[in-house]
Amino acid sequence: MPVTLVSPMNDAQARAETAAARLDTLAGKTIALLDISKPGGSWLLDRLEHVLREKFGVARVVREAKPTYTKPAPAALLEKLRGADAVIEALAD
Amino acid sequence: MARLLAFVQSDCPTCRLIVPYLNALAKSGVPLKGISQDSEARTREFVAQTGAAFPVELDDPEWRKSKRFDVVTVPSLVVIDEDGRLLRLEPGFDKKAINEIADLFGVPPVASRYDGYPASKPGCSSRHLEVPAEGEAAPGLDAFSAGGRPAREIDLAGDDDPVEYCFRAFHDALPVVPPTRTRLDRMLLGTTRDPLEVIGRIPPCYGAATVQKIAANAVMAGCRPEMMRVLIPLVRAVCDERFNAHGVQATTQFAAPLIVINGPIRRELSFHSRQNVFSNVARANSTLGRALQLILLNLGGARPDGIDMSTLGNAGKFSFCIAENEEASPWEPLHVGRGFRPEESTVSLFAAGSPHGISEQAARTARGVLKTLTYSLATNWSYRACRAFEVFLVLSPEHVETIHRDGWTKQNVRDYLFENTGVPLRAYEGTDPGEGAALRHTYREIVIDGEPCYQKFASPESIKIVVAGGTAGKFSAMMQGWASGAKGSEMVTYPIREV
Repeated sequence: MPVTLVSPMNDAQARAETAAARLDTLAGKTIALLDISKPGGSWLLDRLEHVLREKFGVARVVREAKPTYTKPAPAALLEKLRGADAVIEALAD
Repeated sequence: MARLLAFVQSDCPTCRLIVPYLNALAKSGVPLKGISQDSEARTREFVAQTGAAFPVELDDPEWRKSKRFDVVTVPSLVVIDEDGRLLRLEPGFDKKAINEIADLFGVPPVASRYDGYPASKPGCSSRHLEVPAEGEAAPGLDAFSAGGRPAREIDLAGDDDPVEYCFRAFHDALPVVPPTRTRLDRMLLGTTRDPLEVIGRIPPCYGAATVQKIAANAVMAGCRPEMMRVLIPLVRAVCDERFNAHGVQATTQFAAPLIVINGPIRRELSFHSRQNVFSNVARANSTLGRALQLILLNLGGARPDGIDMSTLGNAGKFSFCIAENEEASPWEPLHVGRGFRPEESTVSLFAAGSPHGISEQAARTARGVLKTLTYSLATNWSYRACRAFEVFLVLSPEHVETIHRDGWTKQNVRDYLFENTGVPLRAYEGTDPGEGAALRHTYREIVIDGEPCYQKFASPESIKIVVAGGTAGKFSAMMQGWASGAKGSEMVTYPIREV
C-alpha cells in the first residue's frame, strides 16, 4: 500500500537575497559600527574607528550598540543604521 | 452608558497580545469598539489574523480620534461616558488595568494572572507620533496570522522504506516514527483545536507551528495523542519572548530548554519524577522532550550542524524533560511558587546546561548539606563570574529529608544558598584574572566564614529549586543557566488546561 507522509518541516520557502554592492573606496563614506554588547566589542570597534578615520579617510562613523547580544536588534536601532554606506558588526567577546 | 474604545495598530505585538482579552470583554457584554490607526486593508488583515470579535473602525488619516484622547501608545484602552468624555485611559497591556476596566463595566475579570502571558507589556508609539517615512512601507512579515496552511503531503515510492526516507528528508540523527497521514489523524484526536491554527512561530527561523505540524512532530517522537494537551502550551512557552528561544537555540553555550512538569498531569499522563528522572525511564518524559526538540529543529530551523552553534552541545538536546517529585517534597512545588494552585498542572521551561552532580553523603544536618551545595554553586557558569547567571537546582529526596528535618522551608534554603555562596576575593588576584574579573565593580562584597567574598548570585530568586529523583541516594544536581533575566532568557511557566 502506498505510504503518504505529512511534512513536519517548515514549508515556507526562504527567499534568497543578493548582497549589497561592495564599496570601491572607504574615503568620504559613512560607516556604522554596531556593537552587539558583548564584553570587549567596544575595544575592537574603538580601534577600528581610529583606523577607518586615520588610514582610510572615512568621513563619518556612526556608533550604535544593541541592548543585548542575546536578541535581534530592535527595529528602531536598524533604522538608525539606514543612512550608512556600510555597517561593521562586532560579533563576539 | 460608558463605552470602551481600544486604539490599535496592525504591526504592534502588544496590540495582538491584547485581542483575546478584548474578545472576552466584548463577550461579557462590554460595549467595545476597536479604533485602528492603519489602512482598511491592513486593519482587515489584523482582524482576520487575530480573530478580533468586536467591531474595529478606522481612525481618519490625520489620526484625529487618537489625538482627541491624547493617545501616545498603542494599544490604549479608553473608557468614555455617553457624552464622549474621557473617564479612563490605559496605555499598553496590563492585566490589572484590564480587570479594573471589566469591573468598571460590572463584568467579572477576564485576565487571569497565571495564564502564562506576562502581567504587563509596553506598547508601541501612536502613529501620529511616528516620524513619517518616505514612500509606501513594505508589507509586514506574516508573523502573526492565527491560521496556517495545510502541511505538504509526500507520497513515497512503493519500495522506499519510510524510516530511511525520514532520515534523508528530515535529517534527524535518530530514527523517527514516520508521520503518516493515519498516524497524524490519530494524534489530532488528542486536541479539539483546528489543525490549521497557528500556536506559535518557532525562533530563530519562525516556522509556523500549526496544530497539525506540532502533531506531525509528536508522531515522529512517539508521543501518545493525549500529549497534545501538553504540547500546545509547551509551544506557547517556547515562543514566549521572555524565554528568548532565538538566543537559546543559536548560542555557542550549553543551553537547551529543560521542560519541568508539575501538578496532576504527571499522574494522568504517567510522567516520571523518581529514580533516573533525567534518563530514558518513561515514555511520557522521553517523547515530550524529543517532540520539543523535533519542533525546534524542523520548524525553528536551528539545526545542530547549522544555526545552532553550541560548542559542545548538550545531551539534553535529544530529550530534556523531568517532572517534580511533589510526593517526596515537604515544600510547595515549583508551579505553586510561581503563582499557580497545587491542583493546576503546568509546564515550565528553563534554558539549562547539562546536570552537574553534587554528592553529599556524610552531612547529617540541613546546614551540612547546604554548605556542600554552596561550594558547587560557586562554580556556576565560571567560578569568578558573579551575579549575571541563574542556576537550576534539583534536590534529591534524601537531601530534602535531611534539610526539612531541621525545620527549613524552601525559602530558607534559597536564602541560605544566596547568602552563603560566594567567590573569595583572592581568586581575582594575578595578572590574567579571567572571566568575571572585569565586572568586579558591580559585585557585592560579603563575608563567608570570615573570608571576604563576592556574592555569587544576584538574588535568592536566581536559584530555582525543584525536588526530583529516587528516594535512595544522596545526590543532587545543578544546571547552569544561560544569560539570565530580561537581557537573556527568563524561566516561563504555562498552565496545561487544554484538551
